[in-house]
Amino acid sequence: MQSKYKVGLMRLNLLAAALLLALLAYQTALSASALLLWLAVTWLTVTAALLEFSHRRPATFPWQLLPSLLLAGLLWTDPERHSLWIWGWPALLMLPQPGWILGLTFILASFAWWSLIDVLGFEQAIFSGLLLLTLMLLGLARNLQLQPLRLASRQRVRLAPGLPLWTAHQLATDLRRERARCRREGVHGELLLLGTSRHLLWPLAQDLCRQTHDFESCYRLNQRTLAALLLTRDPEQARLRRQALLEGLRTPVKARFTFLDVASSLDEQLARFDKQDSVLVIDPETDHGQ
Amino acid sequence: MDNESKWSSIRIAIAYAAGALLLGGYAFWQYLMGDYGRILIPAILALLILVATLLRLALTTKARLSAYLVLIAGYLMLALELPQLNDAAPFWAGLAPLLTLLLVPLPPAILLNILLAPVWLILVNDGQLDSGLVLGYLALMVVAALAPWEQNRQQALLKATDPRDPQCNALAKDTLDELLASEYQRTELLHQPLAVLVIHLPQLEMASEQFGIRARQSLLDTLCWEVNRCSRRHDFLGRHSPATFWLVLPDTSESGAQMVQQRIEQAIDRTVLVDTGPLRAPTLLCQRLVGESWQRFEQRLQTLTRRLTEQ
Repeated sequence: MQSKYKVGLMRLNLLAAALLLALLAYQTALSASALLLWLAVTWLTVTAALLEFSHRRPATFPWQLLPSLLLAGLLWTDPERHSLWIWGWPALLMLPQPGWILGLTFILASFAWWSLIDVLGFEQAIFSGLLLLTLMLLGLARNLQLQPLRLASRQRVRLAPGLPLWTAHQLATDLRRERARCRREGVHGELLLLGTSRHLLWPLAQDLCRQTHDFESCYRLNQRTLAALLLTRDPEQARLRRQALLEGLRTPVKARFTFLDVASSLDEQLARFDKQDSVLVIDPETDHGQ
Repeated sequence: MDNESKWSSIRIAIAYAAGALLLGGYAFWQYLMGDYGRILIPAILALLILVATLLRLALTTKARLSAYLVLIAGYLMLALELPQLNDAAPFWAGLAPLLTLLLVPLPPAILLNILLAPVWLILVNDGQLDSGLVLGYLALMVVAALAPWEQNRQQALLKATDPRDPQCNALAKDTLDELLASEYQRTELLHQPLAVLVIHLPQLEMASEQFGIRARQSLLDTLCWEVNRCSRRHDFLGRHSPATFWLVLPDTSESGAQMVQQRIEQAIDRTVLVDTGPLRAPTLLCQRLVGESWQRFEQRLQTLTRRLTEQ
């Protein structure tokens, strides 16, 4: 309830911003800046209409680039009239965004400042440049405050909607927990590592998720490796399970099953998996392993 | 987490220190130019920001205090300089709203910006208002506020997708439902028993009405702490509704679950809180019957929960 309330207020601010920019665009004589301002108005209005309380938007498109480019464009086309907009750069840095856009924002800001030197005169340009840098540091500091929260959420978030596919970080935690639990409950657990080629990874991940139970998590470790924690009542059942599982999958390049009671750390398992030459390895080696 | 918050205050302190250095440099510049009358104020304000920097590092819990000190220093400097800047004044006026937004949380920042906007505009133009300048200033003020809005929205989103309950040390309802379903499947496939202990906290509602938020929080904290202490590492506690909790006990036989229940009841009986007095939390055990389907089990669990809360 409260979150909806907040989104409503933010929408109001977006519309107010769009209205003021529209007035500004109406008053601007220069056609290039007016065009940029109208673009910004359109963007803000569309954003206000689409605004919702979900994770979807930031994940798909680096939209933070758009306000940066609009601001830089405005300052380039008409530095004299819109000079005060240069103080908008620190605010842009506060937006949650990927690292490369942060770098780009710094570069664009320095170009925008450069175009102002003639307008301001040397002394004020130097002082304003240093002040701008200070404020941008402050904006960056406020942005980075949220970083741990964002990282934590990225580690726990499912990688694709609907697929129970988790991150490598999650596996490191789950591996420890599951090993202890299997030992206590007397259940047979196995770590499965699957290697495949880059373009076959997602279809294979879908197969793997379909073949495993809800309580057995699957993981994407890197661009060509998947993992899963498999649970069965005893080693005999595990053997049947392995066979059924491998038959149900599109042929992976190689696979490795490690019993959880002998599985060491994830890094070591991955290193062994990288060195593995044969298509299938079961660790420890059993008599009726294929 | 602690390390991270230390780093974040160091980063902010670095930005403050850069500001202090800048004002100090400005005072020195005035000295070089021989304008001795304009040295004192920037020098004092530089010292003020330096104090704020040290405060930020020393008192990490009172971040607001140092932020407002820096804001006051910035406002004063700007207010003193604006009337003397003539042509460049409109350019520097844009600094004021941004300074507020960068230093102060969003609601007070918007309020301050709206209240102070006429002051800055009058300082720029010596009383006569230029409509172009007013429009540009207001547009910058409103547009720049969108950045902290978006930041707050993201923060709220991250909190909303957290698997933990925001108020206490238990799983949120969605996570609880998902985990219970997968534990059901798991224990059935591995031929293990499964039990759920339903815990009701009847004092919760009246606690906040009679004794305030803090009493309610201490009630929640105490319950979660006691339950987590008395249960085993692989049991998990989730919040089914504001006043009811489910403690899921995988691979636990009826006698084992009864033991856990007894331990928790004993611990709760011993607990006395300052405001609300002795802690009361009736519990009920729901053991999965042999061959019981998921729908039946879930239905029985819901019925038991309802019966416990209506007692």
